[in-house]
Amino acid sequence: MSRLYERLSTAVLEGDAEKSPKLVQRALDNGLGPKEILDNGLVPGMNEVGVRFKRGDMFVPEVLMSADAMKEGLELLRPYLAAAGAKLIGKIVMGTVKGDLHDIGKNLVGMMCEGAGFEVINLGFNVEPEKFVEAIKEHQPDIVGMSALLTTTMRSMGYAIKAIEEAGLRDQVKIMIGGAPVDAPFADRIGADGYGSNGPAGADLAKQFVGA
Amino acid sequence: MVRELEFPNPSPMYGERTNMSEPPEKLPVVIIACQIMQEMLKKLLPDGLARDVTYMDYGLHRYPNKMTLSVQEQIDAVAEPSLIVLGYGLCGNGLNGIKAGPHTLLIPRTDDCIAILLGSREAYMREFEAEPGTYYLSKGWLESGSNPLAEYHEYVEKYGEKDATWIMDTQYQHYERLVLVAHDEADLEKYRPQAKEVAAYCQRWNMRYEEILGSDAYARRLVEVAAALDTADSNFVVVPPGGEIRQEQFI
Repeated sequence: MSRLYERLSTAVLEGDAEKSPKLVQRALDNGLGPKEILDNGLVPGMNEVGVRFKRGDMFVPEVLMSADAMKEGLELLRPYLAAAGAKLIGKIVMGTVKGDLHDIGKNLVGMMCEGAGFEVINLGFNVEPEKFVEAIKEHQPDIVGMSALLTTTMRSMGYAIKAIEEAGLRDQVKIMIGGAPVDAPFADRIGADGYGSNGPAGADLAKQFVGA
Repeated sequence: MVRELEFPNPSPMYGERTNMSEPPEKLPVVIIACQIMQEMLKKLLPDGLARDVTYMDYGLHRYPNKMTLSVQEQIDAVAEPSLIVLGYGLCGNGLNGIKAGPHTLLIPRTDDCIAILLGSREAYMREFEAEPGTYYLSKGWLESGSNPLAEYHEYVEKYGEKDATWIMDTQYQHYERLVLVAHDEADLEKYRPQAKEVAAYCQRWNMRYEEILGSDAYARRLVEVAAALDTADSNFVVVPPGGEIRQEQFI
């Protein structure tokens, strides 16, 4: 059985979006649990993508294809996960901040958080500060995730956090940020609770926030 | 969060004038700039202002880590304590972490060359607010092959046609406008044919094509400030000897 998990991880790592759902299906047909397929097949594949990207052995297009392979597998798995009553460990609202329309990284973090057991509410891109505020009121999340790809738009994260503070909601959520131009000192400076350098790191941070 | 420029510990070399009869010692001026500024600076630099001028490759911004090293190397190679003018923006954090060493650094306080070509940071902000989904084509980006069409060709070679198309669509589908920006009419004309080729390709995402004629006003101010550092305003970052370029000076 572990061979099947390994092949699924490899399909994600190689960005094979056709093979990934087929392998998920085969694993399900073999009676493997959906949570186990996620934890032992899809997630380790994406974790390795994170490692290789950081090392410079993988580039953005390859990460994109891997994310797609993970997405196809996860979509097939999702109803089975729900049916199996997999326990959700928390709720995250996330979006790419105002002025920025790059959502690939944010979606990837969202997927990894979903893989880690979170319910993820994706606000999309070019998200106004007020939109974050409304989403917190509506969804009552544990965590808010913000992303930006450009130095021209990273300041919008600070504005969004300020809007959340002014709405009196800052204390009820943890805020994590990510994206190419930002780092941990920047997170400190704008009053976020943490920074994740990639998808897996984002999911780890989210788990820390909820004590999972 | 936006910080106004402070003049951190002005060096006595140009700052504190304790004795008015003694003019402050002037640092020699050295310019290290992206090739994108070459024509502008050639026209604007008064004779005798700069002791040394080096233009660096257009494509450095593509690899911000490498850019940091290359620019640092150039700075470190300047022997005598100087006022080093960096003809760059933050450039995707390409300047982040650069150390001044014995020198004083002067840098336009902008994210990238678009503000320099438009003539001011305000003009860039205006454009940015008006249409966030804009991909800017500048001389530097065209010369270094940083544009969607060149990227597509690169990907086809590496991943094949089908995957290349999917990768491009995934990355660019939210963009709405392609803008060729140049500081003068001549450059607009020169790069128009190439820009229009890119524009034709970008039609697959219904991106509209526009041209914006900027000015050399920002570059002109940079040269003026280089000649009289105490006139530096919030459009510039000044790093004293021993200091370091930090992202927060720009954001």
